Amino acid sequence: MRADDLIQSGLNRGQKALSEYESKKLLSLYGIPVTREKLSRSADEAVSAADGLGFPVALKACSAELMHKSERGGIELNIRSEGDVRRAYERIIRSVDLQLEGVLVQEMVPGQRELVVGLSRDTQFGPCVMLGMGGIMTEVFQDTVFRMAPFDMIEAKDMTEELRFKAILGAFRGQKPVDMEILCRTLIAVGQIGLELETVSELDINPLIITPEGRLVAVDALVILKRNPK
Amino acid sequence: MIESIKSSPLYPIANPKSIAIFGASNNATSMGTGLLGSLLGLGFEGEIYPIHPKEDRVLNIEAYRSVLDLPKVPDLALIVLPTRVVSEAMDACGRKGIKHAIVISGGFKEVGGDGVSLERDLVAAANKYGIRFLGPNCIGVANPGYKVNTTFMVFEGAPGFIGMASQSGSFVTQMFSYLSCYAIGFSTAFSVGNEANIDIVDCMEYLGACPDTKVIALYIEGIRRGRAFVEMARSIVPKKPIVAFYIGGSETGSRAGLSHTGAMAGPDKLYEGIFRQGGIIRARSMTELFDLCWMLGSFPRITGRRVMIQTHSGGPGAEAADACGRAGLELPSLSPETIKRLSPFVPHTGSISNPLDFTFGRNITDYYWEIPKVLLEEKNADVLLYYFSMSGGTIERTIRQLGIPPDQIAEKAAEMVNVQSNSIIRLLETHDKPFVGYTFLSLKDQLVRKLVERGIPIFPGPQRAARAIEAAYQYTCLRDKILASVFQEKAASR
Repeated sequence: MRADDLIQSGLNRGQKALSEYESKKLLSLYGIPVTREKLSRSADEAVSAADGLGFPVALKACSAELMHKSERGGIELNIRSEGDVRRAYERIIRSVDLQLEGVLVQEMVPGQRELVVGLSRDTQFGPCVMLGMGGIMTEVFQDTVFRMAPFDMIEAKDMTEELRFKAILGAFRGQKPVDMEILCRTLIAVGQIGLELETVSELDINPLIITPEGRLVAVDALVILKRNPK
Repeated sequence: MIESIKSSPLYPIANPKSIAIFGASNNATSMGTGLLGSLLGLGFEGEIYPIHPKEDRVLNIEAYRSVLDLPKVPDLALIVLPTRVVSEAMDACGRKGIKHAIVISGGFKEVGGDGVSLERDLVAAANKYGIRFLGPNCIGVANPGYKVNTTFMVFEGAPGFIGMASQSGSFVTQMFSYLSCYAIGFSTAFSVGNEANIDIVDCMEYLGACPDTKVIALYIEGIRRGRAFVEMARSIVPKKPIVAFYIGGSETGSRAGLSHTGAMAGPDKLYEGIFRQGGIIRARSMTELFDLCWMLGSFPRITGRRVMIQTHSGGPGAEAADACGRAGLELPSLSPETIKRLSPFVPHTGSISNPLDFTFGRNITDYYWEIPKVLLEEKNADVLLYYFSMSGGTIERTIRQLGIPPDQIAEKAAEMVNVQSNSIIRLLETHDKPFVGYTFLSLKDQLVRKLVERGIPIFPGPQRAARAIEAAYQYTCLRDKILASVFQEKAASR
């Protein structure tokens, strides 16, 4: 599926945003590494998805209308057995009172280092890419840097050097340094999304986890759509 | 990016051979009369044509009833009229064939309401004749080297190497005296006002090509052509540094983003990144803006951030070391060779380390020649930060105590100041390494004044000096970054 079609079908359904599942599909199309995951529509499907991915897994309610999943009981983490998958599936279906696209079954990505990468649009500067300390502490640390798209690998690297807490990108408590090449390519790719897809008004990848081996994985993502791009 | 300022629409505005001025009269308190006075006061050498409906002469210069009556087409129209008649004047200029103007008058877009449509009319009148103009709602231009000052304040000081483009007119016209305290000044300074036709990006382009401008200063409240701004900056920075002071306003609170990114993309953070992307150094105040310009115009190339400090006193040395540390600078250890070379000059009360503490030596001239010479040659350091403490009064007292007759004291003191300043100037001429001073003396004190006038930056207190050194190093890094990008792009397109 092409990026345009992905967004257009969302718009056709009247969505204000892409669901997590759709958002990550869009990121994948731009070469950004995302979690391995499957959308399931029954407990049985969830179990077979978990078997396929390998335990432990995470289960997440998936809907374009659900922008803040954790506050609504829509997430179950570190599930280690088929029985637990079934129970988690039922709990999510019960607690989220929305029409769900399904329940996402997703690999658990290890790593305590969390980044946020995003896209915003400025009336003067156009699409701008943000990099920052991610996870639940994003707003607390306020350690974020911006660049106007497009930019090159040198500029992307410079972004990482502007972070106050850039030390976590290096070797850190026995964990390997981040794959800088992929991080820079991710930043550039988010800028490309902004330049190529006018219907994307904002975008968040949060968290973008750095694994102990230094791999990057987009664990959650949100693409906000614009109805009538100029 | 233009090669010559002559290709810029701002060239006739900053270097006019003849000016028609609307709004000057024999009423001494009117704004237009003030501007004409500033222009005359600086000794503008071209022709000036006051346009006045009634007066035959304005400030003793032949005046004309209408711009259409002028014997020739002037390079520039300077308009200081009531808002409602500005468009009409612009139209008359167009009919006369004038191609460049400065509109000082306010009451346009900046006040909202009717002002918005009045500005639209003004732009339309200019566009009809292809007139390029600065303003409205600005104070125009100061190009002291060419004896042009269209601002209300009398020009003080001397031309310098700072090219300025400002979204506040006050930060042009009210800075003359301030800059002269530091013996620095404007090459050319533009007040851009409402940027209805010529904007700050055009000014950057002019200043980038201006041969008298060694460093560009920007005062910014908001950029309109954002993408052009970044591209322009990146094309200039390999040639000369740009320093910006930005006041962001507080639209952060009113942002209603659905995403984290949208919520955090407040203007201040955004501009921080935009400046870095453009290779622009950000200053945190007007004082700092000009400090950094002083440093960067004096020493645009600094190889690293290792600072050698020379003092003859513990406290100022410790404070300088602390200031350097906080500014992200490094204090290297002295090499064995330097230690050996210094030992004859530093008494046992002193300390041969970094900061180097001379205390009180037998031969005061060592402090001004032998020691800084060795320190400038220290291969472990990139810059020398030097403390000035000896006041003119102390020099005179010392001379008096040597038994010199009272009528010769002033002369002998001046001689001593000369010896010291010449020593330091000679060091600068023979060494490439940046030499930066700090002091708690008045910058009017004899020795310090001489050196400042010779172009050596001597900052009040070490924090300002350390910040300036750090900014110079930042410029080196930003310049390298942009050059690497350009190189990579060229390699890819080959």
